[in-house]
Amino acid sequence: MAVELDRLFASMDYLLLERMEEDKFMVASTPPAWAAGVEEGVFAPGSELKPSEYFPVLDIFYPEAEEVWESGGSAKAECDSWLQTGENGEQLALSARAFCFDGQSLLLIENLGEKYEQQVGMLQMAREHLLHNERLESEVRRKQMLVRQREEELAMKLLVASGWRDQETGSHVERIGNYSSAMAEAMGWDKDQQADIRLAACLHDIGKIGIPDAILQKPGKLEEMERSVMETHTSIGESMMGHLDFPMMQMARDIAIGHHEKWDGSGYPYQRSGEEIPIEARVVAIVDVYDALSHARVYKPAFPEEKVLSILKEGSGSHFDPKLLDLFFDLLPKMREIRERVVDTDSSND
Amino acid sequence: MINKKICMLGSFSVGKTSLVRRFIDSLFSDKYHTTVGVKVDKKQIDIDGQAVNLMLWDLAGEDEFNKLQMSFLRGSSGFLIVIDGTRAATLDKALELHQRISPDFSDTPFVMALNKADLKDQWELDMDKVNSLMEQGWSIFETSAKSGECVEEIFQQLSRAMLG
Repeated sequence: MAVELDRLFASMDYLLLERMEEDKFMVASTPPAWAAGVEEGVFAPGSELKPSEYFPVLDIFYPEAEEVWESGGSAKAECDSWLQTGENGEQLALSARAFCFDGQSLLLIENLGEKYEQQVGMLQMAREHLLHNERLESEVRRKQMLVRQREEELAMKLLVASGWRDQETGSHVERIGNYSSAMAEAMGWDKDQQADIRLAACLHDIGKIGIPDAILQKPGKLEEMERSVMETHTSIGESMMGHLDFPMMQMARDIAIGHHEKWDGSGYPYQRSGEEIPIEARVVAIVDVYDALSHARVYKPAFPEEKVLSILKEGSGSHFDPKLLDLFFDLLPKMREIRERVVDTDSSND
Repeated sequence: MINKKICMLGSFSVGKTSLVRRFIDSLFSDKYHTTVGVKVDKKQIDIDGQAVNLMLWDLAGEDEFNKLQMSFLRGSSGFLIVIDGTRAATLDKALELHQRISPDFSDTPFVMALNKADLKDQWELDMDKVNSLMEQGWSIFETSAKSGECVEEIFQQLSRAMLG
């Protein structure tokens, strides 16, 4: 090796080793000062050694390096930088390169020094930025959870205020929320929307708060006038929630006004048809009927499931959105599981 | 003397370097120092009367700027996968890393550290997920490099598993 080249390697903080055989090398240049910090007196020019004893990372680099040395060509391999602690406790940032030159298989170990510090500095900045963003996102998530909790409290207060004055039980309301949320999940709605409809669907009949008990709790069939009054629960519900402009309440308002509309336009209060009816209301229309028919009320017994499903099918394309009804049937096992899990606790409704 | 190589894996800033520092030097610093490449340290421990020389390979955490260099894992006898309890996404990253190394290291023991136990009131982990991993037989420790909680124990446990 030319003296100039030797000086050059030493001045550049390189330790140059020439491969003799597998994991046996000869120090091929004057060692840089840092080499003494790895192991004093080992790296004298011309001495033979096993580098992996002093640089353990080389063990994982050899397979790649051997390919380069075997090829004998101009290819080279680089080992990612590593940090190791020297004899005197000093941290050394090193990297290695394997290449061939003039028929020799060479291993160059470089002390990265400043270069490593620059690399660390850049990565540190980038990662601190990532951490900062993560913290902000986490804070937003926490705030969203607080908002959601407040929405739930508000919904529950509204339900309590309505006093469960008719035949509907808390369990019915909970099931309607769960069925609707299952439909939303199957439609690919995001988690927030699923949570919204679970709550909003519970409020579908909230307008019944404005219906006189004499009509609401009448056990028999309603007279025409009474029926007209009863039907106003949809618009009462809409106006109750009309000024609350957060997504869950907007959805609840759409459901309250739209859940008695029918696909063919024969429902109430506005005789809207098809996709004019908000999708949330079309979902609740299906699950509300399914649940009401499946459970006993003061004016009727619970229908067997076969009959319930047959009534739903008859309503496809007239009462119900046919595609949503198909989806409901696809989800029937899940719907049954909800129906069986959330049971009525009020004996008057059993 | 028995030599065993342990690789520290996990997302960035979960505390891999701090756990190693606590284990080796009984020191802790609150300041975050990113790792580039890999840092190799050694510690000799005693397992049931047997001296074991642990080579601790503290690998740079994975993120969008840095991918795990699989070549660094060659010859590993065990893995310590670290999660930051205050950052839910680091559990997903840990599971992803575990899945990635599994084909090549299916029989290599590993333990999981839910780190930063000193900040437990700020934890955001999905504990259902953690419990289900424990039910599958995973060794999971709640650790704190700051207080030293379970640091010695987790390395001891992994070393025992490596010795078979």
